[in-house]
Amino acid sequence: MFIRLVSLSYMLYLVLPIVLILVGSFGETWVNALLPEGSTTQWYLELWEDRSFIRAFVTSLIVGAASCAINTLLCVPLAYSLVHGAKQKNRFATRLLTLLPVAVPTITLGFGYILVFNTDAMPWLGSTPLLIAAHVVLTLPYLTQALVTDLRHQRLDRLEEAAATLGARPIQRFFGIIVPNLRASLLSGLVMVAALSIGEFQLSNLIVGFQNRTYPVVLLQAFYGATGFACAATVILLLLATVASLTSTLASKKA
Amino acid sequence: MSLSFEQVGFQYRGTSIGVHDVSLSLASGELVALIGPSGSGKTTLLRLTAGLISGHSGRIVLDGRDLSGMPVHERHIGMMFQHYALFPHLTVLENVGYGLKMAGVEAGARRKKSQEMLDLVGLGQLAGRRPAQLSGGQQQRVALARALAYSPQALLLDEPLSALDASIRGQLRDQIRQLQQQFGATTLLVTHDQEEALAMADRIALLDQGRVLQYGTPTELYENPLNETVARFVGLSTICTATVCGEGEIDTGYARLRCDTGARAPGEQVKLLVRPEHIEADPPLFAVNRMEGHVTLNRYLGSFNRYDFMPHGAQQPWLGEARSAPADAIAVAPEHIRLLAA
Repeated sequence: MFIRLVSLSYMLYLVLPIVLILVGSFGETWVNALLPEGSTTQWYLELWEDRSFIRAFVTSLIVGAASCAINTLLCVPLAYSLVHGAKQKNRFATRLLTLLPVAVPTITLGFGYILVFNTDAMPWLGSTPLLIAAHVVLTLPYLTQALVTDLRHQRLDRLEEAAATLGARPIQRFFGIIVPNLRASLLSGLVMVAALSIGEFQLSNLIVGFQNRTYPVVLLQAFYGATGFACAATVILLLLATVASLTSTLASKKA
Repeated sequence: MSLSFEQVGFQYRGTSIGVHDVSLSLASGELVALIGPSGSGKTTLLRLTAGLISGHSGRIVLDGRDLSGMPVHERHIGMMFQHYALFPHLTVLENVGYGLKMAGVEAGARRKKSQEMLDLVGLGQLAGRRPAQLSGGQQQRVALARALAYSPQALLLDEPLSALDASIRGQLRDQIRQLQQQFGATTLLVTHDQEEALAMADRIALLDQGRVLQYGTPTELYENPLNETVARFVGLSTICTATVCGEGEIDTGYARLRCDTGARAPGEQVKLLVRPEHIEADPPLFAVNRMEGHVTLNRYLGSFNRYDFMPHGAQQPWLGEARSAPADAIAVAPEHIRLLAA
């Protein structure tokens, strides 16, 4: 009974803001009251006509997709070598390196980027490639961890040994045995990467240029305008996140 | 294809575990079982042969070529693993054909050959299934077909039956042996089950702490074990200490027994070894080596009884097997008492 009460209040605590935002996005005015007054779709129409939001949305999609692509290329070999070949000492170093972006406050990382990439030698602050690179650094540990867990759990080393005795060269084993068997965890890991990238604010806010702001960065400005507009803009981000997590759930269910 | 080990040594880094100075030779088509307690080096020897671990001293020679330094995928040695290691993302047919695919055999011929192999292990109708849809025994038969399909030069079996239920173990054991003979595959079998080794192997190598204690036919190992360790590992037995008290006679402390003492001098300490089937229950009064006492424990095993018999004055029981357990006496014929170094 008590546990049910606790979980119910927790659910309420989680869901209430989302419901309020959803309600707010369709409300005409919302000042100093529990609920907004009137109903309208004007905020969504305004959002649709706002060039900066559309551009930010596209930038976010590009950065997210690029992060996914680069992460795939980096994490599969990385996870494989973490589980497999790496000697104990190197393994520790690699683990530290991959987990550091999680442990270190993002803001520290942002200041580092500002210091390094705001120089004459590397004047890349504000460029999309740098933004993508930053997102890759942030999301890489999550995908790597997902893959490492799966590699260990499935005992792919045993399958690889079997393939080797059957005459498969290392490259054939990697692409013929390891990669196909990692596809489920790769897919769900990538959805996580996409979700993290799309929602990332701290680091992006510090290093984006005016031309290529990401959606969450632009979203912040919406809060200085009409409440309904801010809510509508948030709902769009929420929608993206929901699609991402749904895909993730479906992918892991299928695996 | 003959396979030989010439003074092979290997140590896992930072330990003394491994194999030391192992020399064995397998004739073409022979099945040799490697047995021994865990940590005795049998799996190490198998993995060295496959090339899954490397860095040994000495030579492993297959059909005249030294395998040292040769990568796994070039060795052409089929292997069957304890945990099947079938590829979950491929169908049963594709699993069997994997070795052929790696060898560059074109798709049509590959399918035909794989299907033949599946038919041979009796799973022809399951070709389109995934490994996860098969039982353990079926999976291991697919693994056998896969290991043999690409005509390897030798076959390695790493505890192939230990993950299976006892009921299918015997059946699959016979099937493996039958196919191995049919293909004439020179085979190394690692097992901790001595019964499996006795039943399947042409010859058995008993390893202990990385060394070969005895290498011979199952009969030799069972009937003429070189020492107590071999005797204890292969088959059941009664082993106890005794003293030679004259030519053809030993004293166990509670009984004087007639047996072949060879060149041993009186007063020498020995171990005597008697296999359970050689103990006669309720012998006639005049029988040689007759001992009176009583049964302390009897196990009914259907076609026979296996019992512990405690002779008067003895500290340790004798293990016997008979149609029915003795009432109050046993006897052992002199030729069935084997003496080992104490």
